[in-house]
Amino acid sequence: MATKVKEPVAGAAATSNHPNPLIGNDKLKQLYSTMLKCRLLEERARILKKQARFKGNYYAAVGQEAAAVGAGVDLRPEDAVAPSHRDFILNFIKGTPLTAMFSQLYGRSTSPDKGRSAPAHGGYAPLNIITPSSTIAAQLNIGTGIAMANQMKKNDNVVVAFSGEGSTSLGFWHEALNFAGVRNLPIVYVCQNNLWAESVSVKLQTKVDDISLKAIGYGFPGITVDGNDVVAMYRVAQEAIARARTGGGPTLIEAKTYRWYGHSEIDPAKYRSAEEVEEWKAKDPIAAMERYLTGKDLFSDAWKKEISEEFQKELDAAIDVAEKAPPPEPIDCLDYLYSFDIRNRELDRKNYSPKF
Amino acid sequence: MPVSYLDAINAALREEMRRDPNVFILGEDVGVMGGAFGVTKGLIEEFGADRVVDSPLAEGIIVSASIGAAMAGLRPVAEIQFVDFITPAMDAITQQAAKLRYRSAGTQTCPLTVRVCYGGGTGGGLYHSQTNTTWFAHEPGLVVVAPATASDAKGMLKASIRQDDPVIYFEHKKLYRLPAVKEELPEGDDHLADLFHCAIRRPGKDATIVTYGYMLQLALQAAEKVAEESGASVEVIDLRVLNPLDHDTILESISRTGRLCIVQEDHRTLGIGSEIAATVAERAFDCLDAPIVRVAAPDVPAIPAAEAMEQFYMPNVGKIVDALHRILQY
Repeated sequence: MATKVKEPVAGAAATSNHPNPLIGNDKLKQLYSTMLKCRLLEERARILKKQARFKGNYYAAVGQEAAAVGAGVDLRPEDAVAPSHRDFILNFIKGTPLTAMFSQLYGRSTSPDKGRSAPAHGGYAPLNIITPSSTIAAQLNIGTGIAMANQMKKNDNVVVAFSGEGSTSLGFWHEALNFAGVRNLPIVYVCQNNLWAESVSVKLQTKVDDISLKAIGYGFPGITVDGNDVVAMYRVAQEAIARARTGGGPTLIEAKTYRWYGHSEIDPAKYRSAEEVEEWKAKDPIAAMERYLTGKDLFSDAWKKEISEEFQKELDAAIDVAEKAPPPEPIDCLDYLYSFDIRNRELDRKNYSPKF
Repeated sequence: MPVSYLDAINAALREEMRRDPNVFILGEDVGVMGGAFGVTKGLIEEFGADRVVDSPLAEGIIVSASIGAAMAGLRPVAEIQFVDFITPAMDAITQQAAKLRYRSAGTQTCPLTVRVCYGGGTGGGLYHSQTNTTWFAHEPGLVVVAPATASDAKGMLKASIRQDDPVIYFEHKKLYRLPAVKEELPEGDDHLADLFHCAIRRPGKDATIVTYGYMLQLALQAAEKVAEESGASVEVIDLRVLNPLDHDTILESISRTGRLCIVQEDHRTLGIGSEIAATVAERAFDCLDAPIVRVAAPDVPAIPAAEAMEQFYMPNVGKIVDALHRILQY
């Protein structure tokens, strides 16, 4: 496996300007532009939330883009993603249309879940992104079952299951990894260790310094990566995904990273010191990648401006569509319980016959 | 040849696994051992360890992995050896399986069956005797069934496996080998039992018993005894399906008999009987000739092992007969 990094150093990969033998220039640029778009998307979502243009809450992964992009950018449509509560951008990375994502935030009838889930907790069935519950580590468990099905069907689809360091305290998390180890399942667990589970420090979650150590107990590789280095994340994820696709079994990747903002938009995150936040903002994965690409003559401010302006227009258009979309009808609350028509547990039994 | 309740479940699993390669079994001791009670005996020999999967001792992942596999197109049949041990899977069942279709507006679903062994009367004590049917019947999104006959045990399991919804299938351990429920079953793949209606197991005109699972046997005996003692004719309804409840059959029966006795092995407070009593009070108040009576387990945390206390705890024929006399003489 790739190098284990103890102390994350932003831009550590930017050491030379000769071509990366493993990743082509187009891919390097794609990693950067995807991270940048994720950042723009989430900063826009936060503004919309602050303006009360949608209700509920938002859980921004700003600062963590490298981990999500590195692990998710090359997944196939058939590969499943099991998101955690902070992985709304995985939708964008995997290809969910922006109109679907903003309709989700706005709780519109046109959203993938027709206005049901919390704004930032949306999935997308056509791309096999599990529509998440907000309960911690739950999608990771279900994703483990999808991996089991892929193995039984003998296809080469993989599952990438995301979790935070806080979720590793739950028994559920361990049941899933243990099961994946026993059955050698085609799954990659990405633990985004952002040091804080809401207000609780990682020091109060686990005795070990590296979450990746926990994989030892389950008999498969675990690796800690600088989660703010998208090149390192991509390399490690590609290796783990390739192993999973070819019957090599699961991998646990710990991405050491940091969320710039609070747990949600109503959390001022006063439990963290200003120094700590500034220290991590200096390790901004997007700025680090700019330095890396600059070292390879692959970056210019004009290119960044072009990506940003074009994407802001796409965001404007998607937000416009979402804002104009109708809300669900109140009575739609009663639908989508079963495969058969029923409302308030009153089934029209006289006219119902099962469709076996 | 008459078939036992246990063999009926085994036959249902075997037939569905032969019919559909997507059907597989996941649970503790289901493979090499053939199940703690022998329900899955012989299946690993026919279908192999890839389809009759001995799981780690972890109910949470048994159900969670089944949910994921169901989302991906398979038809898992998870086994929970004792309902007393289902609590580690409660997030999976109530937060994930029950809500997945709803929270994804029907774009993601998990057609899985969770077979759950339950029930007291075997001296199993606090953690091998519980009847926590209410926990699941309370959850919109789950289909909850409790077959009381060998025919239903087979037909309802086959129908559950084919149903495009998460189904919690309660099988009572005392019914597994009970001679009284052995019966001739229709052969072949076509024996699918309905998952949406109650069944009237004994017609009557003076009072209605509503019950489910093993309690049906006691209810039928009590109805017979009351007929012998007083000549009263008691209708016995087997709920079969605990969620969504078939109110129509119950209300229609009450409209004819005017008296209702509910018998449940689950404890009294907020049990399925409470919901039925409330529904009858709301929708058939004018039909009632006597107060509704419930025969239920007492509100203690679980069923004690010592025989004297276990008998005190469990509903029995005498308690049901007493309750019937009370409403018949009101």
